[in-house]
Amino acid sequence: MNDELLAEEFDEQPPDETPQPSQNFPSKFNGLKGAIGPLITTVIAFLMGGLVVLFTGKNPIKVYEAIFKGTGLNWFFHVGNHSARIPFATAHMWFPFDTASVAAQNLQQTLLLTTPIILTGLAVAFAFRCGMFNIGGQGQYFAGTIFAVWIGSSFGGMNPLLHVLFCLIAGTIAGAVFAGIAGILKATVGAHEVISTIMLNWIAIWVGEYLFGQQGPLQNSTQPSIPISNDIVEGAKLPVFWGLKLLQGLSVGIFIALAMLIVYWIIVNRTTLGYEVRAVGFNPEAARYGGISVARNYFLAMAISGAFAGLAGAIDITGWEYRIGQNDIAVNQIGFIGLAAALLGRNTAIGVGFASLLFGALINGTSGRQLDPSIFRPDLAGNLTTIIQGLVILFVGLNLTGVVAWVRRKRRRA
Amino acid sequence: MTAVTARIGKISWTHPRTIGVYGIVLGALAFWLALPPLAARTAALPVVIGILAIAAGIWSWSRDEHRVGGGAVAAGLLGIVFGLLATRSSSAHLDQVVVWSALGAATLRYATPLTFAAIGGLFCERSGVINIALEGMLLSGAFFGIWGAIWAHSWAGNAAWVVGIAAAALSGMVFAAIHAVWAIHLKVDQIISGMAINFLALGVTGYIFIDKYGDSGTPGNVGDFGIPDIHIHFIQNWYFIGPIFGSLNLMIWLSFLLLLGTWLFVFRTPYGLRLRAVGEHPRAADTVGISVYKTRYIAVISSGAIAAMGGAYLSIGFVHSFNEGMTNGTGYIGLAALVFGKWRPFPTWGAALLFGFSSAIADRLPDAYGNQWGTLFQALPYALTVIAVAGVVGRSIGPAAAGRPYVKQ
Amino acid sequence: MAEAPLLELRGITKRFPGVLANDNVSFDLRNGEVHALLGENGAGKSTLMNILYGLYTPDEGEILLNGVPIDLGSTKAAIEHGIGMVHQHFMLIPVMTVAENIVLAIEPRRAGVLLDYDAARKRVRDLSERYGLVVDPDARVDRITVGQQQRVEILKALYRGAEILILDEPTAVLTPQEAKELFDILRSLKSQGKSIIFISHKLNEVLEIADRITTVRRGVVVDTVPAAGATEEGLARMMVGREVLLRVDKEAAKPGDPLLQVEGLRVIDDRGLETVHDVSFEVRAGEIVGLAGVDANGQSELIDAIAGLRQVKGGRILVDGHDLTRAHARHTLDAGVGHIPEDRHRRGLVLPFSLTENLALHAYRHQPNSRLGFLSLRRMGARARKLLKEFDVRGGTPSTPAYALSGGNQQKVVLAREIDGDPKVLIAAQPTRGLDVGAIEFVHRRLVEQRDAGRAVFLISLELEEILSLSDRILVIYEGQIVGEFPPTATEEELGLAMTGGGRGEEAA
Repeated sequence: MNDELLAEEFDEQPPDETPQPSQNFPSKFNGLKGAIGPLITTVIAFLMGGLVVLFTGKNPIKVYEAIFKGTGLNWFFHVGNHSARIPFATAHMWFPFDTASVAAQNLQQTLLLTTPIILTGLAVAFAFRCGMFNIGGQGQYFAGTIFAVWIGSSFGGMNPLLHVLFCLIAGTIAGAVFAGIAGILKATVGAHEVISTIMLNWIAIWVGEYLFGQQGPLQNSTQPSIPISNDIVEGAKLPVFWGLKLLQGLSVGIFIALAMLIVYWIIVNRTTLGYEVRAVGFNPEAARYGGISVARNYFLAMAISGAFAGLAGAIDITGWEYRIGQNDIAVNQIGFIGLAAALLGRNTAIGVGFASLLFGALINGTSGRQLDPSIFRPDLAGNLTTIIQGLVILFVGLNLTGVVAWVRRKRRRA
Repeated sequence: MTAVTARIGKISWTHPRTIGVYGIVLGALAFWLALPPLAARTAALPVVIGILAIAAGIWSWSRDEHRVGGGAVAAGLLGIVFGLLATRSSSAHLDQVVVWSALGAATLRYATPLTFAAIGGLFCERSGVINIALEGMLLSGAFFGIWGAIWAHSWAGNAAWVVGIAAAALSGMVFAAIHAVWAIHLKVDQIISGMAINFLALGVTGYIFIDKYGDSGTPGNVGDFGIPDIHIHFIQNWYFIGPIFGSLNLMIWLSFLLLLGTWLFVFRTPYGLRLRAVGEHPRAADTVGISVYKTRYIAVISSGAIAAMGGAYLSIGFVHSFNEGMTNGTGYIGLAALVFGKWRPFPTWGAALLFGFSSAIADRLPDAYGNQWGTLFQALPYALTVIAVAGVVGRSIGPAAAGRPYVKQ
Repeated sequence: MAEAPLLELRGITKRFPGVLANDNVSFDLRNGEVHALLGENGAGKSTLMNILYGLYTPDEGEILLNGVPIDLGSTKAAIEHGIGMVHQHFMLIPVMTVAENIVLAIEPRRAGVLLDYDAARKRVRDLSERYGLVVDPDARVDRITVGQQQRVEILKALYRGAEILILDEPTAVLTPQEAKELFDILRSLKSQGKSIIFISHKLNEVLEIADRITTVRRGVVVDTVPAAGATEEGLARMMVGREVLLRVDKEAAKPGDPLLQVEGLRVIDDRGLETVHDVSFEVRAGEIVGLAGVDANGQSELIDAIAGLRQVKGGRILVDGHDLTRAHARHTLDAGVGHIPEDRHRRGLVLPFSLTENLALHAYRHQPNSRLGFLSLRRMGARARKLLKEFDVRGGTPSTPAYALSGGNQQKVVLAREIDGDPKVLIAAQPTRGLDVGAIEFVHRRLVEQRDAGRAVFLISLELEEILSLSDRILVIYEGQIVGEFPPTATEEELGLAMTGGGRGEEAA
């Protein structure tokens, strides 16, 4: 408390408060300048990743080149005169890029992956805005997946538009409810959401494994030996607007995700709910004194957060996965990638958008489909992605202003 | 000893808190009675006892003993559910699954990595630094432990496990050092830096593993030079105790020593006093000349070493191999055990045993009940943790300064 | 007898970002004297003492002990040189015992590694007897009284062999009775050869206990005078630099109907203890009622209960006739209760929010600031501009984050927000804590303005001067009960006596 008086005396910052995600505190850099930190972080992370590759005797430049080719981002660099088909129609029109090239297909895959990352990233970001760590994006994603698969594979004769909507909404609500559990626990007994969401993750994984495992209740009705779910019916699939459905073309899910970025921005910055959430995130005590119900906002923030993640699961199922199996559940990491994307994107809509694209590209580029094993093994590349993810989180948490303050302090001592 | 008898003498047998404890015991009893060797078959028995447990819990809760009261209600409910399940399943199945001695040994085996992780976390958090990275430290210990042992096998023979443990501890210390610098000097949010370590550990261990052993996995002969089991011949034939304690791995015995040593250190030595002071009120410690930074660094780096040794047990003491991400959330459960045990060594161990027990049962279920139940039961430790964090433990009071970076003017 | 001073600080200068805390300060302490360091909040006295205790390093200047220059780079060094500090906010670890706190860092050992608890207890008892500071070595610090905690702090310093004791605002947390006991202890320590530096901003105490008084103002030493012969007015002038209006100019009150009525209120605190016990009072329109009392006698819980932030165990709260006993904060705010919280950083403001957003903390839900759940930033901004101008808030525009403002301006923002809500009842809890004189005057003026506009103002403060100068009626709270009502003409002694529970007659303190 001495520090408090000192702070009064010298207009310094108030003393150490209760632990809160430091991402919440606005940095001195706003607007475009706010991208400096994340950019530098990304560069550092990739550099260090390259060092790791170097240490194990491979050429990082070649590796990154190969990964980049796989992402499809090079598609934007080949401008020419091409003709593209207007989606959902038969007419053609002029288009500067070749929509059928290999790079195009790679880009479709990248965007397919970017879609859920945007949403799980928004999930984490929204919770952060309320001062909470939602590490449970993975479990909430699975909640959405499970319900989407279940509803998608039932109700065979339903109107396609309704069926798809039903799947998406069910997945969203499932994610919201699942996250809401952690939210209620935090709101009522103050249980720390880090532990409860991590535990819920594992519960969701095991429940999923149980449901789709052999003799599980939702296991495939026609192939009893394979631990996989039923396929969703044709009518429940999201329309594909770019590429061929058979070759996993890009579904309209990407637009839903982009729309959600806008929805997120509106909620956070333009609604009373967003105001309350931000107030609670910055200073729950002051919010309480202002009449805001902290408990209610903890719950709502977690629920909305889970809704985003659940929607991600539903879109993936209806957009390209069409089914889910035990193996898929075991290896999926989308929720955690969303965590990295949210942190890198500093919990803003634009930031999450770009960060998700980065990670989507990275994961696609390092996947078995795209990466030439002679240059670099895909399972090695997968781990490289995880390393880069970890480095990003490590350096993003660093926060330029913190480093500057440290350097200044050291210089003052000298 | 006199302190213990004094504590017992102070217990009031009708105090609401004791009633709550009765409730928890009754809840456990409701389940236990339906299991071999007693194997009561009437469904009424677990239900009745469970209801008594819930009643005790409600009584205790209404007298403001929320923690034990809630625990009793939870225990009662779980006791009824599992007791009923047990009475409805066949005796043969029960006998297959519930072999107490085997369960006991399995419990200890599962609890040990939890113990190491949790005790590592204890030192770290007692100094005021939150440690979410236990999972990463455990995993790195698992990988670098086995890697070190395999490398040392050529010149150390069957004693290679010593090198393995050392390598594991070292790797844990390196990751912990990163967390320490980030949390203490760079004052980054400790949960974020902890998560980063977890990903880094996952990626680094996976990367090196695939690079070195990707095609065929770790060599099959690790069992020869793994951490040895201690065979205590004279008790191996004792009824019940024998199968549990007769052939425990060295690390399990070390974990007992670790618990004792930790308790002594933290609560009976000056260094432990200073550690706790730094975690409760770092500025107060600073004003009497204790170096907050130094204490925290030592605590965090030690925690890395200890947790990593738990990982070493997993890879070179238990399964004798390594797989990517093999810790599978064990580190997080260890953290939960720590919170459950209120940052004290022995209650934490109790929690670790509880979680280990549920894993042990989950292991044996598939034999009798088929794959899907075994799979579902794997979720039990995590569910228990959620209940613990929410209900029984509630607002657990940890070291007061945990999570706040210390700013030295 | 011109003897060399025991301790001398020469030319000490210390800079912080944006502020010169100590400017060429020179100060000396003679052997066996009590030397008071007097100054307002922000004058630099705490900084100086923190330098002396090794917590800060001076940018320029030197420190001499017995004529020899010493380097106080750390608290360890300061302790070794026999300097001990009793901080204003105790540096004690609540969950540990008295003995553990005292011996921390120089613990007696058994067998080299184990802590010898018995030896620790014995040593504490020995010290306790020698200096007459009675404490129970095995008591947990968070369970003993504040006065006892202070004794533990002093013992801590003495245990480390302190010959020089620095006490930072020691009476801020004590009742007048406990303060008297403290002075007795200090005199006893003095007679045993200790030298004491006593930091305070309370003129009367300083005159009572000190041998010499040094006044600091804005980082500079004004003068050092012997206590004998000094006057309160003289000291005040030195402290502030001009004639200090110790009383606020105001007209007589014209009280109307009661707007706030509290009847038989009982409130439980976080630990489950009843800290407000059967409190009844009323505040009428057009009057300021001041609540005086030593810290932690139930004021916080009382305020929280009235503001709807804490559940009420028994009794009633009526605002303009409406029963708000069970109301939550939002409802209470809507019903016309304004609340200036006692800690503007933790409770009054959301520091990273802009001024616009902070000003809208209550109003955001209502039109025209929002409609159908969507904020109207334009209208919020216009409102903010108006309020910032009206309340003369300096240091930022509506979009400036609140943390960028000075304490005084921050408090103005809180005031603006509460007053703009047009409350019937205005609760002001420690409204001028940590503010400079200009800001204090502003706040006082505004509170009187609100009173004259017909509001009921309920002022809670730990500063008796503030209570006496602003209130039309004064209530004293002690151990959760209203123990007396006084007119504004009461003396500090009368109030002080009531604050310690004396003069009540029926019950023992």
